[in-house]
Order: sequence, then C-alpha cells, then structure tokens
Amino acid sequence: MKFFKFKTRLYPLVAIAASLFVIIFGLAYARGRYTGIYLLGVLVWLCPFGCLRGVLRMLPAFVVFGGAFAGIAYASAGGDVSAAISMLNRFGALFLGVALSMSVSAVRMTRSLSQARAPRAVTLGMLISMSFVPMLKGEISRVREAMRTRGAGSLLNPKILYRAFLVPLVMRLVNISDTLALSVETRGFTLGGGLYSIYEKEYPAISDVLFLVGIAAGAALTVVL
Amino acid sequence: MEDEKRNGAVAALIENTREMQEAVAPMQAEYEQKLRRREARDLDESKMFRRFKIKDIVFLAIVTACTLVTSAIMPLLIHVPVFGIIQLGLGLQFSVFPVIGLMKVRKAGSMTIMGIFIALFLVMMFPPMALIAVCAAVVELVVFVIFRSYKSDWACVLAGTLYMPLTVPLLYLYYNVNYTVTGDENEAVSMFLGATEPWVIAGMTAAIVALCFAGSVIGMVVSRELKKAGVLKK
Repeated sequence: MKFFKFKTRLYPLVAIAASLFVIIFGLAYARGRYTGIYLLGVLVWLCPFGCLRGVLRMLPAFVVFGGAFAGIAYASAGGDVSAAISMLNRFGALFLGVALSMSVSAVRMTRSLSQARAPRAVTLGMLISMSFVPMLKGEISRVREAMRTRGAGSLLNPKILYRAFLVPLVMRLVNISDTLALSVETRGFTLGGGLYSIYEKEYPAISDVLFLVGIAAGAALTVVL
Repeated sequence: MEDEKRNGAVAALIENTREMQEAVAPMQAEYEQKLRRREARDLDESKMFRRFKIKDIVFLAIVTACTLVTSAIMPLLIHVPVFGIIQLGLGLQFSVFPVIGLMKVRKAGSMTIMGIFIALFLVMMFPPMALIAVCAAVVELVVFVIFRSYKSDWACVLAGTLYMPLTVPLLYLYYNVNYTVTGDENEAVSMFLGATEPWVIAGMTAAIVALCFAGSVIGMVVSRELKKAGVLKK
C-alpha cells in the first residue's frame, strides 16, 4: 500500500520527466497568452512536492538573468511587452525545470535506475562519479598544496600546469581508480546479470500521479484557453 | 525381492542420469568453448568489441567526475548568449580527460559510456546539454569508420577533438529558439550574438576545434608519459 501515501519527495524518474516536459512546453509555448500564469502555477505546485529548496536556489538566478534578457528583448523588439514576457517565460521554464531536477538526489536517482533494471555499468558509474566529486576536490587541493610546498609557481604557466599539476593529478586518479576497482570487486559488484539487493527502494506514490496530473492539466488549459 | 526391485530402480535412475549427461555434454562443451572464446577475445587488444570490466567502468566514472569538477565554470557560461562560448570555455576539459579515459580503456563504447555518465549529471543541471551523450555515440561511430578501433593514439585524439564541437549545432538550435524575440511588426530579432554572422560562426567553430585538438593532444601526451612510467597499465 506504499502507493497510497502522500510523499513530500517526488519519485526521481517522475521528477526528471516533468522537468523535461516543463522546459520543452515552456520553450514551445513561450508566446502563449497564459504561459506566464501556467509557469507561476507550476512554481507554486512544486513547493509542496519537495522542490521548495531548489526553487529558492534558482529564484535569484532567474531574477537576474531573466530580468536582464527580458529588458534586452523589450528594447530590441521596439518596446513590445509581449516579447519581454515571452523571454521571461523561456527563462522561467528553464529555471523551473532545473529546480525540479535539482530536487532529486543522485543516490535516489541511482536507486531508481537500478530498480528500473538499468545496466549495472551505468548505475555503478553514476554512483562512483557522484561520490568521487568531493574526494577529487580534496585531491586537487592536495596537489596544489604540494606545488606550493615545492615552490612550483603559478598554474597559469602552461609548463607548470602540465608538469606539476596535470601529471601528478592524473597519476593519483589512476592509482585511486585501481584501488577503488579492487574494492568494488571484493564487495561483490559484477557487471553481468547477477542478482543484487537494493536496500532502500524507491516507489512512485499517489502524490507523484497527483503532481503529474497537475502539471499536465495546467499545460492542457494553457493550450486550450 | 524388494531389494532386487530397489536395485533395478536405482540402476534405471543412474542410467537415466547418464543419458541426460550425455545429452547435455555437447551443449556444456559448446558453452565452455564460448566462454573460452569470449575470454580470449577480451584479452586480444586488436579486437574492437570487448567486454568492459569493473576497473574500466570505475576509471571512466572517475574521469567523468574529473571532467565535471574542472568544468565548474559551466553554470556561468550557459546564460551567455554568444555563439560557441560554452564550447570555448569547456573545450579543454572535455578533451583532455576523455582522451585520458580512452587511452586507458581502448574499447568500443568507452566514449559513449563517458557521454552517458556526463549526461546523467547534466540532465539535472542544464537539460539541453544532456544530448552530449548522443554526440559521444556519433563521435564513436566516426572514429570506428576511420580507424576501426581505439588501438591508435590518434583515434583517441580524433574522438577528443570531435566530442565538444559536435554540441555546437545542438546548442545553436536551442539558443536560437530561446533568444529570438518577435516584435510588433512580427519581425524576429535574435539576441544570440554571432549566430547570424557566417564569419563569426566559422571563426568560433575553428577556434573550438583547435582548442579541443590541443586538449586532446595534451591528454595523449600525459597518457603516453604515464604509460612510459608504468602507471597507466591496461
């Protein structure tokens, strides 16, 4: 009965599909009379479904970039307000789409892909790339620290960049990759069709259906009206 | 009497098992031979299609993470409507690291796998750019038509050189739609700078290709050096 539960977090694949739909619809119907209202509705609709943080994060960028380009559109279209509004709609659709997809954590996305029987290579690679980013930042700062200790000079010098930064960094990457591969293999990961467990499964819930219905109904109304 | 009956049943069971074993034996031998052939194929580096191992996937994933971390400038560039500015800003990172990945994992599909890993992240940040996975597949096709495999270092360089420039037409379409406004007189005005000037398009495209080629050569030189030092084992 997990389906009949209202979840405040969207099912990852639903979020990504909705994100793509909002972007494509927003771009295609940017000049529609009610598209702005629809996008405002989507903005409000996203908040109870766990996207409030993403929306708040994207809002300043939307105000700055959307505002600037709407102003330019207004000026270049000879003082036409509808041109400015259509530009705002395009930016709005893009930022709403990004806010939606940002609400999905990479771990939940990986779990959903595993449940959907995505190739093991893809889910494993995604998991590694995601968890490796903070580690990589640490490695980069360690290499730079070593450069400073040796008095290697500035990174802007191509020779120094190559010899003192790029080569040691790639060398570390290769060594870490070998160790990580060994570690992954000893933990029983295989690329074949072997069975594996997903400890915390992701399921779509009635809230996801409600969310999609809301998005689609709004779009239908925008087209019909 | 009962013992005789039981012995007869056991003998029939043994006979049945033998018959089944005999029937299965050719199939089993064929399967074992297939496995041996597959293993031999995986070891033969001249072959184009070889299976990926865990260590290949791990290395490609790490290289992808490295590409993404060094491309931190991307969120700023995607809102600048200048033709080719994204590719110019990211060309070096998107050619150096993929070439290093290809020089270590010289298997058909390596580039597409890297493209898929990057696309899975980009779909959450800038969805139009997620089509880079398609570009990776196209690059791989081009490389296989010309070189047949990644055996030659220059095949890896070609893949690295074409990877980012192939996103130019995709983003050109997206930016053209996004940054074109229609005024009162129904006249379309494009705010996508440089997109209507043939010289700008040609110049920027040439610059992107040159930058990606330079990046690919750097990736190749780094990989060769590491291979010589014994770090980049196959």
